[in-house]
Amino acid sequence: MPRDKSFWVPGIPSSSKRSHQEVTFLTKRELLEPLARLRTDQVVITTMGIVRPWARFSNHPLDFASADSAMGHAADFALGLALAQPQRRVICLNGDGSMLMTLGTLVTIVNAGARNLILFVVQNDSYEITGNQPIPGARSVDFSGLAKSAGFRRAETFDDRQEYERTLPEILHHPGPVFVTVKVEPGDEEPLSRRPEESALYLRCSLAESARGLRRALGER
Amino acid sequence: MAQARLILDELKKLGVTHVLTVPDNSSKALLNLLWADGGIQVVLVTREGEAFAIAAGLWTGGKVPVVLIQNTGLLETGDALRGTAMRMRVPLLCLITYRGYAKLAVRGLKVTPETVDAELLSKAGLDSVAVLTEPTLKAWGVPYDFLHADADVLRIAEAFRKAQNLEQPVAVLITRDTT
Repeated sequence: MPRDKSFWVPGIPSSSKRSHQEVTFLTKRELLEPLARLRTDQVVITTMGIVRPWARFSNHPLDFASADSAMGHAADFALGLALAQPQRRVICLNGDGSMLMTLGTLVTIVNAGARNLILFVVQNDSYEITGNQPIPGARSVDFSGLAKSAGFRRAETFDDRQEYERTLPEILHHPGPVFVTVKVEPGDEEPLSRRPEESALYLRCSLAESARGLRRALGER
Repeated sequence: MAQARLILDELKKLGVTHVLTVPDNSSKALLNLLWADGGIQVVLVTREGEAFAIAAGLWTGGKVPVVLIQNTGLLETGDALRGTAMRMRVPLLCLITYRGYAKLAVRGLKVTPETVDAELLSKAGLDSVAVLTEPTLKAWGVPYDFLHADADVLRIAEAFRKAQNLEQPVAVLITRDTT
């Protein structure tokens, strides 16, 4: 049963009709915990507001944060990995604002034939780490619809925890490229610092060191 | 003019696995040859910035990518080049076709960042992207060399080795159409 959570996007005036529409969504824990449980040897690329939450559930040699990098380029970085490692699945947990920056990448992914790529868009309709300003198209843009039109073999949207948990195992094994939109609650994550207080080593070292760590880990497997 | 066949042979000798590209006039012959040959995978991107992020992923995954774009596309890549290939220190050969080079060369113009202004960028008979190409590469910290003709093909291997040694992108500017 969809839970009756409602919120409206910060920055959209309360007089807007959309602010009265009720929507359901998952918490980040509900998104990430089942994924971490099912994850085996897939590479997982995170970015923006999902970097630290993922690190609370996972500290794996094949985790990589596309953060302190260039916004909008997690999905195409993941595509490069998927093309380099066709025998291995690559999961990218992209942001909604990030996805909007490089929508052309959806076409590039399909055209490149990346059958081992699973691209999530974590849709909270806002630029979380800069203060929850609304993304263009907040509450109206249909990312999975865009992915379907681009030619993804499977594209689904989830706003219900039980349905998501039920479908996730199948999604992780479906021939790709696969696209998954998950509606999540707004959060208050701040940008990654890469300082010693970050929880995982790959979040503390420089981006260049982190990339070399992932390269080594992939070479050893 | 450089023969596409010589460039392709050079890329193969270097063990290049993927070429990331947006097609343009100057690289047409090379791209057609890459497709016909089939030994190196060509990945078409929708915008040049994507090429650097995908190249970073390919390199991290153990492959040997090369970026092949026009200088107009180079200007588009700014933040992607900075935040992915440069910040990750990816040894990456970039083949950049130099639109407008001939008009620049015939005037004997040596452009520096200090001499770039609106007047120069709007001058008839000059291609403004050519005016900005070398100052931009200098500003972004990307070393570069030139490929004018067949005899310069060895610059490709030199740039490739430089990229490996410096652990960063290095460019070769292709100043005339490949044939």
